[in-house]
Amino acid sequence: MLALYRALLRFYPAVYRREFGDEMIEVLSEVQVDIRKRDPVTRIFFAGRETGGLLSGAFHAHLRSITGSYDNGIFSARRFAMKSEFRFPKATVGLMIVILVAVMLAIEKARAISMSIPHANPPVGPIQSVQATIVQTFLATLIWAITAGAIGWGILYALRRTGVQQLSEMKPSSGLRSGK
Amino acid sequence: MEVSEPVLLILLSLAGQPRHGYAILQDTERMSDGRVRLSTGTLYGALARLLDEKWIERVKEQNSSRGRQAYRLTAAGRRNLQMEVARLKQLTRVAALRVARKET
Repeated sequence: MLALYRALLRFYPAVYRREFGDEMIEVLSEVQVDIRKRDPVTRIFFAGRETGGLLSGAFHAHLRSITGSYDNGIFSARRFAMKSEFRFPKATVGLMIVILVAVMLAIEKARAISMSIPHANPPVGPIQSVQATIVQTFLATLIWAITAGAIGWGILYALRRTGVQQLSEMKPSSGLRSGK
Repeated sequence: MEVSEPVLLILLSLAGQPRHGYAILQDTERMSDGRVRLSTGTLYGALARLLDEKWIERVKEQNSSRGRQAYRLTAAGRRNLQMEVARLKQLTRVAALRVARKET
């Protein structure tokens, strides 16, 4: 089984493997010694859990390296987090720029193709206006998305500030005493 | 940072003494009466995050010929754990009151 776990570790980002790979294999081999004493059903469940855990861990490690955040909001169905420091995922900005450039290039390419095709049919004038509409719609959507994102970010930032303020005002020791 | 149950158990496991990965796995299972069994992938995902947030730090484990790593709470980690425990206490107090009121 260790060979399988070693193979699954290859799915993790290289940085993560360098930092934790040997340690994880060491822990897995220790757990493996324990689990050999158990019944076959437990061993099967263990193998399934470890395989799932490694695959899920690799996925989240990659997601973390892409988004720069552990709270990606896609698979996190837990309570609202008040982070100790706010990090805007820089990769998002890069991704938006790449998408924008790709769309603009696609429009230009389509325009070039339409120009290169000999006009066997009547002139295709209306296409120009459709293209213009697409660009306008895209720009309007982009502006709307940026505005909505800025408002959302502002609300989250304000909530975070409020949360951090509340946390800083909390006295853990007094909180524990009052719980008795 | 959000504190899920596995993360809370890991923090509680490190509250008493530094522990290495395998000891954390055993301790979390013991604390939850076998209900929470972390996989190695889940454990190291949580440890990576806690290291990143500086809630825990690495220490070289004593009495170990292999020089493996152990983890311990930082001051910030201990403070955050205390706040989480206080929050849970407050929540369970309210929950107990509400449940008792409903039963009467």
